[in-house]
Amino acid sequence: MGTDMEIDLTLNGEAVAFQATRSDSLLDVLRQSGYTGAKRGCNTGDCGFCTVIVDGEPIKSCIEPAIRIDGAEVETIENLGSQDDLHPIQAAFVDNAALQCGFCIPGMIMRTKGLLEANPDPDDEEIRDALSGNLCRCTGYEKILDAVADAADRVASETDMVADGGQVPDSQSCTGCDCYPTGESR
Amino acid sequence: MSRTDKQDEKNQSGGSVSKDTVSHDAWDEHPGNKKTHDERDSVSSRTEKTDARKIVTGEAKYTADHVAGFQNLAEAAVVRSEIAHGVVTDIETSAATEMDGVYAVITPDSPSVPNKPYTSAGQSYPEPSPRDLHVLRKQVRYVGDPIAAVAAEDAATAKAAARQITVTYDEYDAVFDTEEAMDKDAPQIHDQDDIENPQPGADYEQNIEAHQEGEIGEVDAAFEAAATSDELTVVETEWETPYQSHCVPEPHTTIAHRDENDRYHLVTSTQVPYHVRRQLAHLFDVPIRDVRVTKPQVGAGFGSKQSMVIEPITLALSLAAERPVKLEATRREEFHAMRLRRPSRTKVRSVVSDDGELEALDMSVVTNSGAYGPHGMTAAGAIGKKPLPLYTHTPNIHFEMDAVHTNLPIAGAMRGYGAPQGHFAVEGHIDEVARKLDIDPIDFRAQNCIGEGDLDIASGILKDGEYGRRIRSCGLKECIERGSDAIGWNEVDQPDAEHLHRACGMALATQGSGIPGDELGAAHIKMNEDGSFILQTGAVDIGTGADTAMSQIAAEVLGAPPEDIVVQPSDTDISPFDYGAYASSTTYVTGQAVQQAALDARDQLFEFAAQLLDEPVDRLVARSEKVYSEKTGQSVTLEEIGYASIYGDEVRAQIMGEASHSTDESPPPFGAQFVDVTVDGRTGEFEVHDLVFAVDCGVAINPDLAEGQVTGAMHMSYELATGADLSFDDDGTPETLGFRHYGMPRTSDQPPLTPILIETHEPTGPFGAKSIAEIPTNAVPPALSNAIRRAVGVRISDLPITAEKIKTALNKQ
Repeated sequence: MGTDMEIDLTLNGEAVAFQATRSDSLLDVLRQSGYTGAKRGCNTGDCGFCTVIVDGEPIKSCIEPAIRIDGAEVETIENLGSQDDLHPIQAAFVDNAALQCGFCIPGMIMRTKGLLEANPDPDDEEIRDALSGNLCRCTGYEKILDAVADAADRVASETDMVADGGQVPDSQSCTGCDCYPTGESR
Repeated sequence: MSRTDKQDEKNQSGGSVSKDTVSHDAWDEHPGNKKTHDERDSVSSRTEKTDARKIVTGEAKYTADHVAGFQNLAEAAVVRSEIAHGVVTDIETSAATEMDGVYAVITPDSPSVPNKPYTSAGQSYPEPSPRDLHVLRKQVRYVGDPIAAVAAEDAATAKAAARQITVTYDEYDAVFDTEEAMDKDAPQIHDQDDIENPQPGADYEQNIEAHQEGEIGEVDAAFEAAATSDELTVVETEWETPYQSHCVPEPHTTIAHRDENDRYHLVTSTQVPYHVRRQLAHLFDVPIRDVRVTKPQVGAGFGSKQSMVIEPITLALSLAAERPVKLEATRREEFHAMRLRRPSRTKVRSVVSDDGELEALDMSVVTNSGAYGPHGMTAAGAIGKKPLPLYTHTPNIHFEMDAVHTNLPIAGAMRGYGAPQGHFAVEGHIDEVARKLDIDPIDFRAQNCIGEGDLDIASGILKDGEYGRRIRSCGLKECIERGSDAIGWNEVDQPDAEHLHRACGMALATQGSGIPGDELGAAHIKMNEDGSFILQTGAVDIGTGADTAMSQIAAEVLGAPPEDIVVQPSDTDISPFDYGAYASSTTYVTGQAVQQAALDARDQLFEFAAQLLDEPVDRLVARSEKVYSEKTGQSVTLEEIGYASIYGDEVRAQIMGEASHSTDESPPPFGAQFVDVTVDGRTGEFEVHDLVFAVDCGVAINPDLAEGQVTGAMHMSYELATGADLSFDDDGTPETLGFRHYGMPRTSDQPPLTPILIETHEPTGPFGAKSIAEIPTNAVPPALSNAIRRAVGVRISDLPITAEKIKTALNKQ
């Protein structure tokens, strides 16, 4: 359908080129190119399952025309941790049991990443506001709200770690990263 | 002794025992099924969900994420009726067929489209629902009936081609209200002669697809006595509930193709792979063995995927296009053309004595099935059968229901399955009775509700024979106490502003654990050399964490850590049989199959261990990845047994356990819902401060997962109370087309949710477990309505509860 055009962007830190049509959304081209972490829940920008980060801002990729992404920096869930080396936000979702069917979770995590980059220490109200464009039908949001608060602490302590040489405070342990297990000698 | 026990004695001595009667008094619990907390290793642990890591990394593959695995896959779109009632006189498809990139256009007359009636209800065989649907339809009965479908090279082309198809109709009068639909002059929606309907009481001339009633005691006599007695009070109430959408995160999605063996293979987001396999085979007239249904990661169901909605269209398109086809429902279709919770109108009347004893309960409900009948009788019947057991001591109970067609979207199964509508009516009514007698609503319930050891006969009110269900575990009293403490019942501080009024309300809840006598779960477990196991069950994990719970049950038996139990997802070619994920059955029914299969495997483990340790089998214990001799303390690791079983010098045999489980038992979980609300007496606006649900689900296999079920279901229940409902214009065209038109709570407006798990031990359940998934869906509407009644004195009896309705009621005071 329509005329193909080439879109150049930086995706997860690498320069890539996508073929797209005028009617394609960013979500369309991502999913067609194998980046299926972002999910299609409504295609009208109302559920947030397709949330990715564009030029530092979490956006709903299903209503973002692909043509507008030319030259942009896009980050998707695929850029975060792997199953045995989770990003702290991902680890917080796992450890707080903040997921059930999982369909909303990649979008929820990207929304959280955007929030914590803009506001590293959000209070409960700020978390509820920031996540209000991302629906979840399974959890009632309770454990997700806990996970986001926990993620803020983890990201903050990781930032501290980088500053002081990569050590974990004695009282903490991590899931999925390769920092020192609790009790192990440093 | 309770009155139901007397009833039970009467039944026993009566001698005429029907097949529905089960003697439930004795239960021979398996030794080792009841464990103290200290004795449990895997059960009751907050084990990480087996798929958690692939979910958070975006690697979990739902049906739509599987397209890359299919060459030449076509995308699909469906043409749906734009009128509410009529007959299609012409379908002009040539413009669509001629478009570049279009592979197939199908209509009701296409050779690949079956032309026999079926039901979409994914139920046991033979399905109790009427066969009243066709894959594609010339007779259209609501805005949304599928008429034609297109397969094309991509989704945009399929949609564009669908828009090129012109349908011409002969339009009929339509009816949108159940009361009007039952009028003899109303348009008739179905013709009796075209439908195989196993349901009782159908009268299609009045648009009734099913009617059922049942009675315990003599209700009319109780009301006659009340009419002439000063000591008996009659209370009458009416209740109304709207449509509710499942808002299922992953839209219904199916990929259908012929595999290299020329078999029909579907990858589909379903709760019922085995029912879909059988129903598709019957519908397309092919052998069951030639159909394979694979369940990938599923983005939740809540009952919406207990219906075979888009699978037949996808398969018919795939046959016509001779290539793999993917059909993915749009959100707009999810809101009007898939399935919904059925609206209901319920009348309740009761007789109560001055000292607070319920003497009679009479409940009649009319449900709106919409245009077709799947789950019509069973879900409408559940509106009475589910909540009435709370008050099974009431000596005289009558319940009747009518399931009625209108030219509106199709109701199906939805989490709670009638119980939310029923609890709204019963628990709202009970509150009014307590109010009339000036008794505290908690005290009144405590005086009349069911308890441990009781015989529940109310859940059998629609059964032909005499029936009883012994309650072997009931934590209702503790649920009330703990929930009441958590919410601060009677302890809320009134706001300073005079126009603000704060109060708590509550409601009891119950459900079942599977459908008694109509379930089958099976499991197979085999040991690897390294001491790990592969567990195959038909349990359909649709996001609940069922696979994780199954791994914990198997691990508890085998002395292995849960992560050493690899659980394979449901696939009809590979997994043992299972009825599927519905009716709160998986943990209770399939969980027992897993427990028994693991016990079978453990017997074999012990045979090898007995040889390796030179000890008799009856002294052996499996725990901490070892098998121990209780006498000598000597042990052998599971890994050593694993290698010995496969590579040993003498006996070589893979350790493989298997079991099937079916049961007539369905122990009810119990719960108490509490709401704390402040109402603005000037505007009717209200703020819910907290929602607490204290629940007895027996032993929670995984408390994290159980709490997640509670909060998620309470969210859905809060939506039914305050945000659900679909709107239609005067022609029956839906106006609720997406999330922005619908009141699904978001983080910004979902009140805090507090789950409290009250442990009891259910001797018939795996390690004492009962169900948890549905019961918390049942009771926010009555608890909120009751709280508002206490706060400002008005009763809101039609959902959703809105500020406008409260204000209107306040103005009438």
